Amino acid sequence: MDSSALTRFEAVVLPHLDAAYTLARYLTRNEHDAEDVVQDACLRALKYFDGFRGQEGTSARAWLLAIVRHTAYTRRRRHRADALATEFDEAQHSQAVADDHPEGELLRSAAKETLARALDRLAPEFREVIVLRELEGLSYKEISEVAGVPAGTVMSRLSRARTRLQEALREGGGDLT
Amino acid sequence: MNHPGEAQLDAYLDGELAADDTREVEAHIAHCPECARFRDGRLELRAAIAARVPAFEAPDELRGRVRAALKAAARARTPYRLSLQGAWRPLALAASLGVVALGSWNLSLRHASRETLADDVLASHIRALMPSHLTDVLSSDQHTVKPWFNGRLDFSPPVYDFAQRGYPLLGGRLDYVDGRAVAALAYGRRQHRINVFLWPATRGPSDAPMTRDRQGYHLLHWTTADYTYWVVSDLGLPELGDFAGLLRQADSAAGAPE
Repeated sequence: MDSSALTRFEAVVLPHLDAAYTLARYLTRNEHDAEDVVQDACLRALKYFDGFRGQEGTSARAWLLAIVRHTAYTRRRRHRADALATEFDEAQHSQAVADDHPEGELLRSAAKETLARALDRLAPEFREVIVLRELEGLSYKEISEVAGVPAGTVMSRLSRARTRLQEALREGGGDLT
Repeated sequence: MNHPGEAQLDAYLDGELAADDTREVEAHIAHCPECARFRDGRLELRAAIAARVPAFEAPDELRGRVRAALKAAARARTPYRLSLQGAWRPLALAASLGVVALGSWNLSLRHASRETLADDVLASHIRALMPSHLTDVLSSDQHTVKPWFNGRLDFSPPVYDFAQRGYPLLGGRLDYVDGRAVAALAYGRRQHRINVFLWPATRGPSDAPMTRDRQGYHLLHWTTADYTYWVVSDLGLPELGDFAGLLRQADSAAGAPE
């Protein structure tokens, strides 16, 4: 691959690195894993760049996010044995949250964590549509390309995910306002 | 009009409804307190997410890592595909030994190539057993070992830990096999060492691993869609096969990219 091809790739893909990292962070729920996922995804993207340039009507952003998502799920399957041991360990999760925040800040940001944690606890297929819509601002059509499901499925998942977030907040005593 | 479904109300709030439907839902909400409450709840949620659930910026360090990895991958790309260097060496060896190719030329060439490779891999394994040569990055944490390879190799090798299955990751290092830099991962099994060598595959995936015995060591070799693997150890073959199975399982769980 000559250097101008690489330059073209970087111009198309690197502007979406923040979006890629954000999706990876919410899918892996872990900084280290998110960084590895983004790097692997970019290398894959480079490998399949020729295929992308042939596709009409797909935004580079949605294309890269689809690869990030695939990479994150691949990794998740790979680490499933480890993940099962820790994923639902509530005590450990709380500890991790507490570690990130000094005590005073923890109290002040209690509401914030309630919402962020409710999101973290959503099943991935619900979590991802929230992130793609609310944080990445993707259209239903783009989300359907990223997640590989019909737009109708995106629509119903998004609606159920929102209802679940609202319920979780109500049950947790969190206040939205 | 009946109440619109929740998904339809959401689609309306997301600006995803066609013009006709949008007007209809709008008119309904204006006269329906229940749907108006639903809308207000969703708008609150949206505001709360915007205020409290952050989008992240990719750290500069990650940005740098990605660019370095891309550059290395792009550089490596053309040479892999065109070069036959891996094939010429065993050919020369075969000629010097006066080996006469029987049957398919291609087959014997491949066979010879694998035999030289096996020697290469075994030599690396034995080198690695010498004191202080085992690992460049000494860590049982795959999140330490994997990033260590960044910028040192033109590919990002998958690193697994099988500590729970009795094969703890000991570390990794760079090695040089078949004319290229490869990833070498060290695993332990009781007092035994297992070395795993891998690099990007240049031909399609193989079926079951092939086994070789040399000088008291066992070597297993296979190729996935992404990588060529060599596993070598003095561990008994059943256990080494078990280990290879774990590795292959972890890899196939990872699946082919597209």
